[in-house]
Amino acid sequence: MTQYLIKRCLSTIPVMLLTTVIVFGLMRLLPGDPILLLVEGAQTEISDETIARLRTMHGLDEPIYVQYTIWLKNMLSGDLGWSFQTNQRVWDIIRGRILPTVQIGLLGWIMAIILGIPLGLLAATSPGSWRDWLSTAGSLIGAAMPYFLIGGLLIYVVALRLRWLPASGFVSPFDNPVESLKASIMPAITLGIGLAAIVMRQTRSSFLEVLQQGYIRTARAKGLSRHKVIISHAFKNAILPVVTILGIELGALFSGAVITETIFAVPGIGRLLVDSILARDYPTIQAVVLFITLAVVVANLLVDIAYSVLDPRIRQSVSYG
Amino acid sequence: MKRLFRNRFAIVGLLLVTMEVFLAVFASVITPYEPNVMDYKALLQNPNTEHLLGTDELGRDILTRMMYGARLSLTVGTTAVLIAVCLGVPFGLISGYVGGVFDEIMMRVVDSIMALPALVLALTISAVLGSGLVNATIAIAVVTAPTYTRLVRGQVLAIKQNDYVVAAQSIGAPTWRVLVRHLLPNTLSPVIVQASLGIGFAIILESSMSFIGLGAMPPTPSWGNMVQIGFQFLEIAPWCVLAPATAIFLAVLGFNMLGDGLRDALDPQSGT
Repeated sequence: MTQYLIKRCLSTIPVMLLTTVIVFGLMRLLPGDPILLLVEGAQTEISDETIARLRTMHGLDEPIYVQYTIWLKNMLSGDLGWSFQTNQRVWDIIRGRILPTVQIGLLGWIMAIILGIPLGLLAATSPGSWRDWLSTAGSLIGAAMPYFLIGGLLIYVVALRLRWLPASGFVSPFDNPVESLKASIMPAITLGIGLAAIVMRQTRSSFLEVLQQGYIRTARAKGLSRHKVIISHAFKNAILPVVTILGIELGALFSGAVITETIFAVPGIGRLLVDSILARDYPTIQAVVLFITLAVVVANLLVDIAYSVLDPRIRQSVSYG
Repeated sequence: MKRLFRNRFAIVGLLLVTMEVFLAVFASVITPYEPNVMDYKALLQNPNTEHLLGTDELGRDILTRMMYGARLSLTVGTTAVLIAVCLGVPFGLISGYVGGVFDEIMMRVVDSIMALPALVLALTISAVLGSGLVNATIAIAVVTAPTYTRLVRGQVLAIKQNDYVVAAQSIGAPTWRVLVRHLLPNTLSPVIVQASLGIGFAIILESSMSFIGLGAMPPTPSWGNMVQIGFQFLEIAPWCVLAPATAIFLAVLGFNMLGDGLRDALDPQSGT
């Protein structure tokens, strides 16, 4: 198991390194001189000498590979640079935005699991029935619904007409847990519905395949109840592809957070990315993109670890080499 | 084709896609209104007999703008997918066939691009290229091309040891001929399925980018920027948001259903 974990962790390093090259490269292609953007809005006129000195200070007169090395070294030591827009340390800005994104993302993910797995199981245990047909239709509809439609409907009906929940904003759970939950429900539903549809579909497909296996027929022939067969025999095998899908869709959750946070005015990482792109705040853009990528890679790693815990064949195949 | 038409969901998908194409192509004939002509006497009107889906904040007919928006979405969606296929398929073919170090490097690059969430990467590329439809199309194509690379590479790995490929190699067929005449045609089925699903995905990406302000710019009628502006009037004129958002939903649903139907028809063993 330890061997598998080490191997898995090491395999993320080349992917992350290449991603840093892509992000660095993209940022260097951005139009405009970063130093001129930095001094934009200065109250006194900045001389050419000062601009040249600033360029040297930021390493921008070095060859591109040296700039990359300096930038990577700074990133690894936690120095993500300074925001052109607010003049704050980028890490301080990102740190303040993590909680809202994690909160609505986690709630949406949990909602997708709670909704998707039981509905998928229900469809798989009655194939060809109206429940199965409804589940298939529901998963197609849920997967196709854009965040704008779900968010727009929720805001209009629940917030503006019924006045049950606030239309926008975020409250920290440490300040007021109840208000925090009320403010997070609609963004979480908006994020979770699409994922629930995908989870439902994968669960149905996995269970259909597993329930046709010989050992399931044997278990039923032995006289075990349908309920016991599903929970004790089928579940652990059928859930593995669902775990994989949950991991794969983590990236999509971040993409969804960009739109959802904009719709519901949640001050999270997604909204920070949008604001910094529109403001051409290059240090913040590259730090946020890297942060999101690292978060997705780490989350996928955790999912893979969970996968190896659920499936002993994964651990054993590593042990046997 | 018979298998496709036996699938009810695929038929619904085909109908939705056909309807969208029809409305997009014949928009100027079907509607009496122009998409950008403002009517200050008809601001934020409810749906009525004159304006079936109401009007927006500048008095423009929403149904007309939705039809012209369909034209834009279909154009961007299909163009982005075509570019993605032209970029991704050759790399996948070569990577799967050649193997070795080239394949390893290619797959690490593909993994790195796919590690970045699609919309995040598309927005970042758009920030580099600038806003506008052409740049949004390029950004979407670049983001989705690795999917085709991986797909085709997987197919090539599965079939490159087949007898007909080995036979072609043994009689001295040049590499390009083996790739184009023998391998490429046998990888097309999953590419066609993925392309259909990819158009729906491209429509979602384009409308998301327009929503944020990096895709089509006003007054160009894009579903995404109609939704963005409409949110300001959600309480008094919900149709400004719900109508274009529903159009996006129906378009994506249609392509997804069609893609699933094509998958079942072209590869029944995949089973959805």
